[in-house]
Amino acid sequence: MERRPGGEANIRTGEKVMTRPRTHPIRRYRRRALALALLGGIAGLTLLAPWLATADPRHAVPADQWLAPSAAHPFGTDHLGRDVFSRVLYGGRQTLAMGLLALGITLGPGLVMGLVAGYAGRWVDRALMTVMDALLAIPSLLLALALIVVLGSGTTQAALAVGIAGIPVYARVTRAAALEARALPHIEAARSIGVRPVGILGRHILPVIRPVLLSFAGVTFGWALLNGAALMFLGYGGDIAAPDWGVMLAGAREAFRSAPWAAVAPGVALSLTVFATNLLASSFNGSRASK
Amino acid sequence: MTFGVIGVLALVLCLAAVIFLVLVLQDDSESGDDGNRIVYGLTLNPSGFDPHINASNELGIPFFSVYDTLVYRHPQTMEFVPGLAEEWSMADNGLSWTFQLRRDVTFHDGDPFNAQAVAVNLDRITNPDIPSQKARGLLGPYTGYTIVDDFTITLELSEPYAPLLDALSQVYLGVASPKALSEYSKNTYQWHQVGTGPYRLDEVVPGDHIILKRNKDYAWGPVFYAPASDQSLDTIEFRFYEDAPTRSLALEDDQVQAIGELLPADAERMIGNPALRVVPVPIAGMPQQFFFNTQRAPTDQLAVRQALLYGTNRTAIANAVFQGQSPVAYGPLTSVTPFYDPVVETKYPYDPDFARSLLQGIGYQDSDGDGILERDGEPLTVRITFAPWNQMVDVAQLIQSQWRELGIEAELDLVSNFPDLIARADSGEYNLIGRYDFGVDASIITPYYLSDGLNNWSGYSDGELDDWLREAVRQPDPAMRAQLYKSVQGRIMDEAVILPIREYVNLNGTTARLDGVIFSGQGWWPLLRNFQLTQ
Repeated sequence: MERRPGGEANIRTGEKVMTRPRTHPIRRYRRRALALALLGGIAGLTLLAPWLATADPRHAVPADQWLAPSAAHPFGTDHLGRDVFSRVLYGGRQTLAMGLLALGITLGPGLVMGLVAGYAGRWVDRALMTVMDALLAIPSLLLALALIVVLGSGTTQAALAVGIAGIPVYARVTRAAALEARALPHIEAARSIGVRPVGILGRHILPVIRPVLLSFAGVTFGWALLNGAALMFLGYGGDIAAPDWGVMLAGAREAFRSAPWAAVAPGVALSLTVFATNLLASSFNGSRASK
Repeated sequence: MTFGVIGVLALVLCLAAVIFLVLVLQDDSESGDDGNRIVYGLTLNPSGFDPHINASNELGIPFFSVYDTLVYRHPQTMEFVPGLAEEWSMADNGLSWTFQLRRDVTFHDGDPFNAQAVAVNLDRITNPDIPSQKARGLLGPYTGYTIVDDFTITLELSEPYAPLLDALSQVYLGVASPKALSEYSKNTYQWHQVGTGPYRLDEVVPGDHIILKRNKDYAWGPVFYAPASDQSLDTIEFRFYEDAPTRSLALEDDQVQAIGELLPADAERMIGNPALRVVPVPIAGMPQQFFFNTQRAPTDQLAVRQALLYGTNRTAIANAVFQGQSPVAYGPLTSVTPFYDPVVETKYPYDPDFARSLLQGIGYQDSDGDGILERDGEPLTVRITFAPWNQMVDVAQLIQSQWRELGIEAELDLVSNFPDLIARADSGEYNLIGRYDFGVDASIITPYYLSDGLNNWSGYSDGELDDWLREAVRQPDPAMRAQLYKSVQGRIMDEAVILPIREYVNLNGTTARLDGVIFSGQGWWPLLRNFQLTQ
């Protein structure tokens, strides 16, 4: 692919179009390192929860309700006298696990449908994308809520609902990228000499669109975390005593004015995780591999 | 391009002018001749507001003051006092009640009140096409009426029915204008209700607000209604505040001047605020409680049920979840309910060691050291089903935590609404289920404890208890009824049919400018006639 400063050739029409100057690679890698450090730190803390936690996250001590942060309770206690610090640590496990599960559910079908639609074109593309477009008309959280009604409540069901609700967007993005890549000269060449579609998709198209897919997977993970937490907040997680950031926010909401710490801790943890995820996603942007 | 900047500026100015005008005009209309005006916050938007049809307690907050009832309960003594009926008498066989009606009453639409009007209302309530969710049930064995003369009506019963006056004192049996009832359908009447009460319905925007205006001709109120004064409320607007944390905010910002069902923590904080007042109103009837499923293991064993009662620290729950603003409940009736028997308070003190020994006595032991008791390899697990209202979510979690220390695993099953709760009850897949009802007459508990009762969710069946419950409804003598309900309460607790948690207290909040804030004997419904707005 030919590159000129301040612009590049549209791969399909050959017209020169303006593009955003790319982030300098060094800055991008620094951003990625920061994101990975943040995410790694959060994941590490939650994994080490059994050793770091100062109390049983489910143990209620009604007499200790709404204690302000102190040495004994670094993040204070909640409305049932449970240690917020321990609950945030354990809560990350469930929240992150749900996000990962949802991401996996989104990526598989989303990727396959997007690639097939983008590569095959014609009626396959039209049929798949009509369905995806219809689903896209519904906000993903609403779609997840509708799915919960069918699937029933529970953490796995919630993750499943969030994952399925994310498929249309991911398929859409993959398809757009595949469509663009299909027109690249070396891929056209491969097609013309009769390389089988699976080979073209796997060996030629995927490597080209990988940065887009990775970047958008990051964004999807952020959404999955937020939507998952929203479902838990609304009480679709089944286990209402579970340490989980969404559940904690719901429980702390009613007393936010007298005991804000019970909501601030899981809120900051969730925001920080989503921030790190988005940072990671943006570090893939523009690092399009060229062969 | 030059037009662009000027055009945008002109547009902004025009918009500002329009907004200004709207604000000014709106201000004008609000300070019109509304007189003393308050906004009263409702805590939910019920599925319907027609007292003859719908069952929500919330509808009575506005409409208890739109209607009069034949009799009233005096809010302080709980005795029956004349309302639209000046006097009444029961036939010796208990099968008919005759009411002498007031002759000086007119409906808000000018129609005169008489025996014919009462008859039209009774016909409507018993009409199977309506169908009534609460009012018909309150009438019990009612079979019909006889109009003796213009101002005398006799109600007939198929068997003696002690709670009749209690039923007639509730908003659900408020007397509506026959003219209005005939003008509107059963679905639309709720937006055009006409009664004889101290306030008339002025405006309804469904889901948004309800406005009541003072009935200036009102001169036939019960003895506890205050006479009208300069400080009486002229206009009351009801608005909805369904989300509990927003209620205290609305009150503190003076968006509402009165509201019910504050969160306990908010009420606690408000007590120190001189601009506001917290008015806690205990509610008669059943406490916030769980029924044990006596048909499903392991709660089919009396010892397990009793162990769970001994092993629940209700004081800790009442303090943590309800900030000590609700008394702990010990039996099937709350302590403000007539015929309450305080002996239940001695029955199940918090005693975890005794609970453990009860369980040990029937063979439960932690044989594998996982902290959960087992018998024949079966862990001791109970399933608690409940709906999210009244802080049940927090109550259930505390119970779960307390029982875990006894070695009992509690599985929490939260359903999202009342129909789901009923579906769960029908399935029978629960060991405890949260359900309660409110009412001043102790007969409110009958359908919950009769062996074949409609709401017998415990599955408990006891012929002697059935006899007591039935006789207590037929028996007109209060002393006899008290004796029967004493036996009923004792038996229910001896057999550990329920796990009572706390007595229901409605935490109302008002601005300190409101005086005379008082509620009906049933607890839920404000006596708006007595409210005074001081400046």
